[in-house]
Amino acid sequence: MSLRFLVIAWKELLQLRRDRLTLAMMAALPIIQLLLFGYAINTDVRHIPTLVDDQDRSAESRDLVRRMEATGFYDRVGEVHGYGDIERALRSGVARAAVVIPPRYAADLAGGATVQVQLVIDGSDPQIVGSAQSTAVSLVAARSAEMRVERTARVGGRAGPEPLELSPDILYNPDQRTAVFIVPGLIGVILTMTMVMLTAMALARERERGTLEQLIVSPVRPVELVVGKILPFVVIGYVQIALILGFASVVFGVPVHGSVPLLFALAFVFIAANLAIGLFFSTLAKTQQQAMQMSFFFLLPNILLSGFMFPFEAMPRPAQWLSQGLPLTHFLRIVRGIVLKGSDFDDLRSELVWLTAILLALVVFSSLRFRKKLL
Amino acid sequence: MTAPAEEPIIRTDHLSRRFGELVAVRDVSLEVRRGEIFGILGPNGAGKSTTIRMLCGILDPTGGSGTVVGHDIVRDAERIKERIGYMTQRFSLYEDLSVVENLTFYAGIYGVPFGRRRARVDQVLEQTGLTSRRRQLAGTLSGGWKQRVALACATIHQPPLLFLDEPTAGVDPVSRREFWERIYEISAGGTTAVLTTHYMDEAERCHRLAFIFRGELLDVGTPDEVVARRELRVAELEVERASDAAALLRAAPGVEEVAHYGHVLRLAVRDGADPVALARDVLAGKGIAVRGARETRATVEDAFVAMVRADA
Repeated sequence: MSLRFLVIAWKELLQLRRDRLTLAMMAALPIIQLLLFGYAINTDVRHIPTLVDDQDRSAESRDLVRRMEATGFYDRVGEVHGYGDIERALRSGVARAAVVIPPRYAADLAGGATVQVQLVIDGSDPQIVGSAQSTAVSLVAARSAEMRVERTARVGGRAGPEPLELSPDILYNPDQRTAVFIVPGLIGVILTMTMVMLTAMALARERERGTLEQLIVSPVRPVELVVGKILPFVVIGYVQIALILGFASVVFGVPVHGSVPLLFALAFVFIAANLAIGLFFSTLAKTQQQAMQMSFFFLLPNILLSGFMFPFEAMPRPAQWLSQGLPLTHFLRIVRGIVLKGSDFDDLRSELVWLTAILLALVVFSSLRFRKKLL
Repeated sequence: MTAPAEEPIIRTDHLSRRFGELVAVRDVSLEVRRGEIFGILGPNGAGKSTTIRMLCGILDPTGGSGTVVGHDIVRDAERIKERIGYMTQRFSLYEDLSVVENLTFYAGIYGVPFGRRRARVDQVLEQTGLTSRRRQLAGTLSGGWKQRVALACATIHQPPLLFLDEPTAGVDPVSRREFWERIYEISAGGTTAVLTTHYMDEAERCHRLAFIFRGELLDVGTPDEVVARRELRVAELEVERASDAAALLRAAPGVEEVAHYGHVLRLAVRDGADPVALARDVLAGKGIAVRGARETRATVEDAFVAMVRADA
C-alpha cells in the first residue's frame, strides 16, 4: 500500500480547516448533546402544574394539599370548582393534573369511613401520567397508613378499613396507548425536519449550481423567488399532515377529537415558521451539504426540547426557556390539544400568539439576511 | 421616448469597486455603442467580472456612475435587469430539467407573455438547432450543447443588450466557432453583445475591445486601433539554435517580445523599427544564420502582452 492516502487525508484536513461552519458544528454538536442529555433528559416529571379543587376546605384537606406540594412533583397553579373548570384548564394546558378533595373529607375521616381523593391527570403525555400517578399513590398510601396508626392508637383494637384512597382519573388517551401519544407529535417533528431541510437545500442547490446568480441577474424580485420556492413546500407540508393523520387513523385507530380544519389552519403558521428557518439556513449555507448539516443540527434540540420526547415540565428552567423559542414546542401543544383533547381555538390562543411571534421574528431576521445584491 | 441612435447603450464614468482593501475596479470610463460586439479583455482577476456585475446592476459600485440601456446602474438596477441577457461560463442551467423546460422557465422569468411563450421557445430551439434535443435533460448534454442552451436561455426575451462572462471557457474549438457564428447572428439582429474573454483569437472577432489590467482600463478601440497604438512590428524567423537566438534577441534594445511557435521564433519590436533587419543585425554578429524571415501582422495578443509588460 502506498502512502498516497496520507496525501489525501492532508488535503481533506486543509479543506476542513477552511470549512469553518462544519468545524464549528462538529465542535458544538457533542457539547450540546451532552448538555441536553445531561440536564434536560430526566424522566421524573417534577413541578407538574396542578389545580386544587378542595370541596371540603378543612384543616385536614389543606394538610393533604400541602403534603402533595411538599413532594416537589406538584406545583399548585390555582383553585377551581367543578369538573368543567378542570377539563378546560387541562385542554388549554394551563394545568396537567388536578386534585379533587370531596366535601366532608375531614368529617368522614374522623368518622372512620374510607375517603376517596381523586387525581385527574392529562393523559396526553404518558410520562406525566406516570409521575403524577405514582407520586400521588405513594403519598396517599403513606398518609393513609399514618392515619391508621393514629386511629388504632386512639381507638384501640383492630385496624379499621383504609382511611384514604386515591382514585386516578386519566383524561385523554385513558388506555395510555403509545401510538395515540406519538402520532400527533410526529406530525410536528416530521414537518420540522422536511420543511427546514427542503427550503435550506433548495436555495443552496441554486447557489451551488450557479443558477442563483442567473436568477439574481433576472428581473425576479427576492420576494417572488422566496415565495415561489417555498409555496410547493407548504403543499408538501399539508400532504404530510393529511398522510400521518389518515395513516394513524386507519392503522393505529388514533382518533382526532378536535377540529381538523382548525389544525390545518394553525399548521400554516408553524409551516411558515419552519420555512423561514430553512430560508435563514440557506443564506448561511454555501453548499447543499452544509444546508443538510444545519437542518439536522436544528432538528436535535427540537426533538429533545420541544416536549416530543420528554415532557416540558421535566426540563430545568433554562431548557424550558430555550424550548419556548422553538416553533415545535408550541405546535406540539396545538396538535396534541386538537387531536387528543379536542381543544378549540380559545384553548390554544396563547400557543398561536407564541407561534406568530416566533414567525414574525424569523421572517424579519431572514429577510435581513436574504439580500439580493451581493453574490 | 426612444434614445437617439448615437446614444451609447452603456456609458460609465469613473466606475470603481473596492472589496475592503482590494480595489477590484478603478476609474473605468467607457462607452459601448448600440449593436456592436464589445470585448473586455484582461488576465484572471483583472476586474472583468466585477465590471460586468456592476453593469448588470447586481453589484453596487463604490465610486463613479454608469447608465445601461438608459437606466442608472444604482438607482434603476431592476429596470436594467428586464432588458439584458446574462450568461456565464458556468452555463447556469437546471441540470435536472430538460432543454425545453429550461427555456420555458427562463422565458417565464423574463416576462415573455404566457401566450407567446411556446412559440418563442420553439423559435429559439429552431434557431439554435436544439429542436432534436428538446426533451433531453440539460445535465446530460456535452459542454458545447450546454453552451448553446445557456445562450438560448439568455436571449429568450430578445434583450437589446447581452452580457457574456467568459462564455467559451472550457468549450472545444468547433463549438466555439459555432458559438461565434451565433453571436454574429444575434448582433445582426440589433442586439449589443458585451463579453469577457482571455482567448486572444476571440478578441480579434470583436468590433471593439477594452483592456482591463489590475482593475484599470488600459485602452479601448477596434482591434486594429489597439494594435496600431502599440507601434509594434512583428516578424516570424526561421533560425538555427532557436533557444540561443531567442536569448540574444531578448537582450537586444527595442525588442518587445520573443516567443517560440514550433520551429519559428516570433519577434515583436517596438517603435516601428524593422524586425527583420534587427534580427539579421543581432544574429549575424553571433554567427547564427537566419534561414528565413518574413514580416507579419501584429495581433491583439502581441498588443496585450506589450501593454501588460509596460504596466507591470
